[in-house]
Amino acid sequence: MRPTVIFTSASMAEARDARSYLSSLDYEVVTVPGEVCLWDEQALGAFAAPYASSLCGVVHPAPERILGSVESVSEAQWDRAANEGPLAAWCVTKVFCGLMKENGGGSMIYLNSIHAEKPVGNGALFSMGCAAAQMLSREANQDYAQFNVRTFFIQKGITRTDPDSKSPVSAVYFGTDLRYPQREMPKEGYLNGLIAFLLTPQAAPLSGADLRADGGMTMFYTHRRKVEGRRYLGMPD
Amino acid sequence: MACRTEERTALVTGGGKGVGAGVVKVLASRGIRCCINCNTHPDMAENTLRAVREAGGDGFVYQADVTDLNQLQSMVDAVIARWGRLDILVNNAAMQPNLFIDQYDLEKLRRIWNINIGGYFHAVRACLPHLKKSGCGRIVNISSIHGKRPTGFDAGYAMTKGAIRMLTRELALELYGDGITVNAVDLGGCKIEFKTGNAPISAFAPAECRNPAMSGFRMVTPEDVGKMVYYLCSPEASAVIGDGVRLDKGLVLI
Repeated sequence: MRPTVIFTSASMAEARDARSYLSSLDYEVVTVPGEVCLWDEQALGAFAAPYASSLCGVVHPAPERILGSVESVSEAQWDRAANEGPLAAWCVTKVFCGLMKENGGGSMIYLNSIHAEKPVGNGALFSMGCAAAQMLSREANQDYAQFNVRTFFIQKGITRTDPDSKSPVSAVYFGTDLRYPQREMPKEGYLNGLIAFLLTPQAAPLSGADLRADGGMTMFYTHRRKVEGRRYLGMPD
Repeated sequence: MACRTEERTALVTGGGKGVGAGVVKVLASRGIRCCINCNTHPDMAENTLRAVREAGGDGFVYQADVTDLNQLQSMVDAVIARWGRLDILVNNAAMQPNLFIDQYDLEKLRRIWNINIGGYFHAVRACLPHLKKSGCGRIVNISSIHGKRPTGFDAGYAMTKGAIRMLTRELALELYGDGITVNAVDLGGCKIEFKTGNAPISAFAPAECRNPAMSGFRMVTPEDVGKMVYYLCSPEASAVIGDGVRLDKGLVLI
């Protein structure tokens, strides 16, 4: 029986890349279909039941972001953000970590965003949900690590096609490889190796950790872009 | 002139008891008029108001559920009707159920989300038109060290405190241009009458599970919180933007 990894959504490009990569490593990769409500414990449990004995890992990507100022948020947006963000993350954790606990262990990977710590600038609903999932990851580590269920919180960065690049704060970083210490924006599939590693028992000492995987974007300073950018682009000083 | 203390008014959610009462007492003692919001314990809020008046301060009690948008709006309208302005919002009303992940169900989690983060979010929205007019608008979100550090006994609570951390940062960016500063106070171990929720973990944790380094630990008082809030609301703190000030007497250093 091949070990099963469940993706709770495939709306994020990094999740789709990782799904393909893990399939090539001989995992059975399953994606929760859109009609299964992620904040419905019973529906999620029913979906997971056939994989209960082989489940070794779960990847839970952050929901699609809702952008807009705090003043512009509608009641419907508030409800949607709560359901798809913190409530879904909690339900996914409770159902799948419970199953992996019964199985003797596994990895719960929250494939989330730098916006758990870095504000979007016009996306409070999104970043609040990210931070809630981040704290859930730390709490789940407290509750489940003793049963060999490891939890990890990946703060992913952005790629050229990422809708995150439309946020005002990301715009500061976006649009130039010079914003990255390696002078290169992360390419497609940049999280594949990390996710594959986190699914292994060798990642156990990292359980409960935040892993910022953004190509160094949030740790690089604009003044260096300005100074080096001129040199890089042949601009006059 | 906009920041002159004797002209300013504040709305403190959950201001009737505990941390909120401490904030109200300090702000009022320094000349800031306070609307004391309460929901479940109006008697305690009246006691707080009495203490404010005895100390020469001005205020009134308003009973409202912070999860009800209409009640929130009516409360803000009452402040404006009484004083004509609103300069400071202190978001404080919250609960702590103390449940492990598998002890929560959807309704319990939705409830704590709607109170602990929804109450903060919607109170900001209701107050914002008046804070913008203030010229010296201040929002202070009372939060917890558990917005960064896990509790080990209440995932739902920590999720909401993490969300407050990001709400504070987002608001700080969004509202800076309107002259409004937004900050949080990350509390750890505050000595209050009781929390709205279940018994704290310390009430049932065996003594041998507690950190021996904490023996002799003195807790933060509501007045300590009030002094920090007063500072964050002062002109001297105008450069403090989107911060979470840890106020725990070094608890997380242990």
